[in-house]
Amino acid sequence: MKLLDRYEEVVGHHEIQRLYRLAERLAGKRVVHVNSTRNGGGVAEILRWMIPLMQELGIDASWEVLEGTPDFYRVTKSFHNGLQGLPVSLKKRDYDLHYEINRENAERLNLHADVVFVHDPQPIYLPQFTPKDQVGRWIWRCHIDASRPDRGVWKYLEAALPQYEATIFSMAAFTRPVACPMFLIPPSIDPLSDKNCPISEAERLETLTRLDIDPDRPMLLQVSRFDRFKDPLGVIEAYRLLKPYHASLQLVLAGGPAEDDPEGAEVLREVLDWAGEDKDLKVLLLPSDAHRDINALQRSAIVVLQKSIREGFGLTVTEALWKGKPVIGGACGGITLQVHDYHTGFLVHSPAGAAYRIRYLMRYNDKRLRMGQNGYDFVREHFLLTRHLRDYFTMVLSLDRPEPDSLIV
Amino acid sequence: MAVEPFVLVDCSLARRAIGRNCSNLRELLDAVRTVPDAVLEHHMLRCPLEDHFEMYEFPNDLARWCWEALGDPVLAEELGLVDPYKETSIAGLRSTLIDTIEDRLWGQDRIPWCRPGFELHLVASRLVAYDTGERIPTPAALVETVERMSLRSLFFHVHEARRRTGGQTDDFSLWLEQFDTCKELVTGLREIDFYFLNLSQLHQEILDLFQQHSFVPTVA
Repeated sequence: MKLLDRYEEVVGHHEIQRLYRLAERLAGKRVVHVNSTRNGGGVAEILRWMIPLMQELGIDASWEVLEGTPDFYRVTKSFHNGLQGLPVSLKKRDYDLHYEINRENAERLNLHADVVFVHDPQPIYLPQFTPKDQVGRWIWRCHIDASRPDRGVWKYLEAALPQYEATIFSMAAFTRPVACPMFLIPPSIDPLSDKNCPISEAERLETLTRLDIDPDRPMLLQVSRFDRFKDPLGVIEAYRLLKPYHASLQLVLAGGPAEDDPEGAEVLREVLDWAGEDKDLKVLLLPSDAHRDINALQRSAIVVLQKSIREGFGLTVTEALWKGKPVIGGACGGITLQVHDYHTGFLVHSPAGAAYRIRYLMRYNDKRLRMGQNGYDFVREHFLLTRHLRDYFTMVLSLDRPEPDSLIV
Repeated sequence: MAVEPFVLVDCSLARRAIGRNCSNLRELLDAVRTVPDAVLEHHMLRCPLEDHFEMYEFPNDLARWCWEALGDPVLAEELGLVDPYKETSIAGLRSTLIDTIEDRLWGQDRIPWCRPGFELHLVASRLVAYDTGERIPTPAALVETVERMSLRSLFFHVHEARRRTGGQTDDFSLWLEQFDTCKELVTGLREIDFYFLNLSQLHQEILDLFQQHSFVPTVA
């Protein structure tokens, strides 16, 4: 059985057939994706399903991973923060280190391709060190909100862009003017991955018991890296505002380590300090492969929070909606594309706002359930991997045939 | 004479940010005057491919933005009534939009602004259509096909068809009019006010119409 056949159960036979028909137009193309880690974070999760599915659709796709030192990842974490607008102070030697690691990797990685997708800033200078005839097209895929970046970081990264034929951002609000076309492709989830597939009631209960969570009491959940932009302290504050009204309420903050995120440990310590001795408040540091545990937690929550103050697309929101949970989301980034007031949850601007909306949803059970169903339907239509693949193929076809008007292929 | 089978097409959008956004009405007017045609096409004609909920007050992005972000219900209503399918060209649509916005701006003492975070980010799109390989031989088979077709195909065969035919017809009724027994169905399809429906609603309306004409023959 082919991998894609399994998705027929979710999106239907004809949707998969359409994907084959569209991909036929790109058959045999050699496509390489490059990022900086195989584990942890949304990009690695996307590439894990995208590569085999592209291969099955007749595209010669592969995945290359940058190798760096701890110092390199410290610098690229600063790039990440800087792109999201946090002031960072990097020295010339930091930029030189990044440049040099890109040079080394360009020699090591297999980058012979018709199209190379470079994900995020870590490998952005690879084209600089790759022979011109080796790659047909370079495309930079920026998963981060780059609309208001730190000036120094942007100047350094922008200098790499003339080598690229196009860029991809998750939404228009994440872009800033660059010289090449800026395509818009939101990310997506894999509905059959361990994190999103249906699980048995027995497994769900076993997971809760193992993680010391009471399955009979209502539980709020935020799943995210321990990162200040995810505002875990604000989530705790919202929970504490609710606790007097719902004494049985539990809060779970679940996060995992990412190989390229050295700040995580520091934020985790702050969260643990802030959580104190409350037995109903669990801070879980889960391994990066604990996908089924995350799945069980999301299915067990009555409401899922993603109270970020800056956010990329927010795939944890997509995952929660897919499990039929209304989401209380910070009004930023891709969360605003997914959380629609009174339809799939509520956008909030403060811990008080989060507490208020959760109280509302706990009062009106029927509304909570209806919003959950809306969320599931919404993700099925717009944020599954089939749509994501279709967008990539459409973009490449559009670049292949640059006539100005509508295109029939 | 045998009727050629119906060719089922699907489509997808290649969307591009143009690196420009509007935060007040004057900027919107300036944008409408100067942006490429593909931007007006996207925000006025291709919204159904992005919509999901039955919650939108207006059928195009410009009207929605004026309603939600600028808080100008008068202009929103006027822009909501601009029907791009009645215009024969994007130049004509542009001219109508400029006239509508300029007229509203003319009588204003203060320019309406949106709050930070509510800017209109301008997007251009290009429609990439592709033959699905499916050929529909009979009206009865078309009914079965419409039932399971993607909403994107529906957009191509209804909304895009109207543009291709100068606002005259959708592809379904154009094909069905070759069958003598489908005249009422053809009239019914052309009477659907599709501009005010999201694609799911349109899908249901077409299916209901087919249901009322269950006599459609299986052979030409």
